[in-house]
Amino acid sequence: MQKPTIGVFFGSRSTEHDVSIITALAAVIKPLELSGKYTVVPVYIAKDGRWYSGDELKDVAMYATGKIEAWRRSRKPLSVCFDQGLVLRSGGLTGRSQRIDIAFPALHGTHGEDGEMMGLFELAGVPYVGCGTAASAVAMDKVLTKLVVQSAGIPVTTFRHFSQHEFETDPADCITKINRGLHYPLFVKPAHLGSSIGITRVVDPKHLQDAIEVALHYDDKVIIEEGVSDLTEVTLPILGNDQPQPALLEQPLRKPDDFFDFDTKYMNGGKKTAAADQSEAGQKGAQGYSQIPAELSDELTKKALDIGLRVYTVLGCSGTARVDMLIDNKTGAVYCNEVNPLPGSLYEHNWSQAGISDIELVTRLVDLAIERHEQRAKRETVFATNFLQQF
Amino acid sequence: MLQSTEYQVGDYMRWYWRTTNFATVMQRRQLKATRVARALCWVLRLGMLAQLVVGVWLLIMGIRDMHTMPGLWLCGLAVVLLYPLVWAHLIVVPLFLGRWLVIEPRQRRVIKRSAELFANHPGVRIAIAGSYGKTSMKELLHTVLGAGLKVAASPANKNVAISHARFADSLEGDEDVILIEFGEGAPGDITRFAHQTRPTHGVITGVAAAHLNTYKTLSAAALDIFSLARAVPHEHLYVNGESEAAREYIAEDMQVYNNLGALGWRVGKVNVSLQGVHFVLSKGNRRHELRSGLLGRHQVGPLAFAAALAMELGIDDNKVVEAISTTKAYEHRMQAYQLRGAWVIDDTYNGNLEGVKAGTRLLAELPATRKWYVTPGLVDQGSESADIHRQVGSLIAAAKPDIVVLMRNSAEAHIRRGLEAAGFAGEVRTQDEPLEFYRNLAHHVAGGDLVLMQNDWTDNYA
Repeated sequence: MQKPTIGVFFGSRSTEHDVSIITALAAVIKPLELSGKYTVVPVYIAKDGRWYSGDELKDVAMYATGKIEAWRRSRKPLSVCFDQGLVLRSGGLTGRSQRIDIAFPALHGTHGEDGEMMGLFELAGVPYVGCGTAASAVAMDKVLTKLVVQSAGIPVTTFRHFSQHEFETDPADCITKINRGLHYPLFVKPAHLGSSIGITRVVDPKHLQDAIEVALHYDDKVIIEEGVSDLTEVTLPILGNDQPQPALLEQPLRKPDDFFDFDTKYMNGGKKTAAADQSEAGQKGAQGYSQIPAELSDELTKKALDIGLRVYTVLGCSGTARVDMLIDNKTGAVYCNEVNPLPGSLYEHNWSQAGISDIELVTRLVDLAIERHEQRAKRETVFATNFLQQF
Repeated sequence: MLQSTEYQVGDYMRWYWRTTNFATVMQRRQLKATRVARALCWVLRLGMLAQLVVGVWLLIMGIRDMHTMPGLWLCGLAVVLLYPLVWAHLIVVPLFLGRWLVIEPRQRRVIKRSAELFANHPGVRIAIAGSYGKTSMKELLHTVLGAGLKVAASPANKNVAISHARFADSLEGDEDVILIEFGEGAPGDITRFAHQTRPTHGVITGVAAAHLNTYKTLSAAALDIFSLARAVPHEHLYVNGESEAAREYIAEDMQVYNNLGALGWRVGKVNVSLQGVHFVLSKGNRRHELRSGLLGRHQVGPLAFAAALAMELGIDDNKVVEAISTTKAYEHRMQAYQLRGAWVIDDTYNGNLEGVKAGTRLLAELPATRKWYVTPGLVDQGSESADIHRQVGSLIAAAKPDIVVLMRNSAEAHIRRGLEAAGFAGEVRTQDEPLEFYRNLAHHVAGGDLVLMQNDWTDNYA
């Protein structure tokens, strides 16, 4: 029997382009191939938005050495065709068509994780891994996420938000509203970005405007959140469609008044360059700066797991997502902080600790994608009327 | 592949005639450009070129004189087409010549000289023989006896006559104890090694089916190993009593060690974990708690023996206890390490049924969320291969792993049959690319898993 073809989509016009490459190559393509169940087709979306495919794209050295640019120049980009499914056509005289049976987006940030690609897969009518269009779009917008979960009675920290237009029109008014309603320290974040890009921790009002300008450099919407002073931050990867299953609560290893920016997460091996915790757990890039499972009381663990699963359900997540939460150590309150609809490297390190291997993780995600696709296929989307006969 | 078989012509030819696809056999090792390898490559190139030239010449002549010599062009074509087959065989000729004319005479001289060096050495000379566990026993004795005596040991797994000769050259002459590993490979080896090294003491670590291509039967291998008893006094011959195949060859006056005790010392309160073994060793009013990083219940006997021998040789008890605590798994021999939250026990240097028994016992004994057993099977099992691999399957089934990973080779079907016959209910997977599996083990396992990887299957057994 012929193996189904899985297209793994990565790269894209996103600030998290490079992180996406690592997710695709290490956490998705390799385990999928090792499962022996699928034919895996890498689909690389370059920073200029062109699509490419080829087995050479499975080698990280292509990107690390910059050879990818020369390789791209020697290839024609792909074109996408909706021909009772998703078909990728390579250009040139020897061009051929490749039908994709299942799509596995390994994209982070804009033009990928935010629901855009999911919409494309929906239109093509192919099963795809991870959250659907709406859940992805809401989860990728930190403001929308907070508004939705707040409406479901899930606690969030106090926050304000502005569009670029609002801030540029009257920055003083925006800053006044922030200073009136929120207590320092504050976290200023672009509303749609992940991987800690563009985030600033602000401890006094004089640095607030700079922080907002940094966030607006990356995004057209900014969110300003009140910090929790005696804080334990935890994150919870979740897997499933209608019956979500949590992995282990994970706790970043850092000082409470500190936070991880992009360089710390991905470039410094998970260690703050000067004052980071040098413990054994802080060893391996984005995956090595955490305590798994988080050291919490049974009561707090149960509370955080419950809130994480509720957030996942309220947002309508499917496949997988990661819910970040803040715990106020003084009051024991657990707040939903944000949701990542496609966690970096699928948080495979956490799933592995939870007893699910990398191969099992990707195959289960594929199974969940097919399950959701089959459920949707049963629904009627065409309705017969005599409306046109009136004309 | 000739290099991979250590230039053993028989092994090389067996591999050659067994192999059907020559494109995929060289996976683990690439040719190392040693002097011998380079010389053989040049012989190959020149020989093949000469054959091709002759073949083409015959072909041309045959076509030109088709009427006078009608079959000549066919001969030419055959000479051209058959050059890989011809030179795959002819390559062993320079090897034979080199070995016969140069290497063997030189080695005979060196070995003869070493026999004198060994005979005149004043120290205790301990020969270590057996189908398995020799290197581990040698390292163990080196560590424990070294706590109070000057000890020299033959290096790594260099355990044949020429290696012993080189080892003799490296001795300083004032060693209290020298440890010599005997690597039997064919009938008569142990007697020859004993004649060369003149041991005063001997250790037989066990007998199992190994090198059956040369020994043919297990009893022939056992008789060869027990020929050590003719070279050392029986009261100085220590035999592992846990080896089932060795038991019938043990004479009453030989010293037996096992997991119950050694040299009059008794073993008690054995505890086995992923961190090693822990037990009490006692004799009269002397009582010691021994802890070792070596894994598995089968290590208790050798540890007890090493400790007992050390104390018999006059080493202070406390030093012995301390030395035992420093022992840890040797590379690829029941070596435990953590991988993505899983525990992996690397026993890939194991190569016999006794090792499989020890490994499967350990797997059954240790707790885990999910247990894996990974094996390509055993090499060098001769005509008993099918039966032995069915036994392997049966032993694996008894350990009740959740997942068994086999490799696509001649042993796979027999292991599967053994598993089925024993009613194994778990999952059995077959890997087409063993190296790919080993390299990517981290992607296969998860937290709570326990993975036992036993045995290896080198390219020449593909």
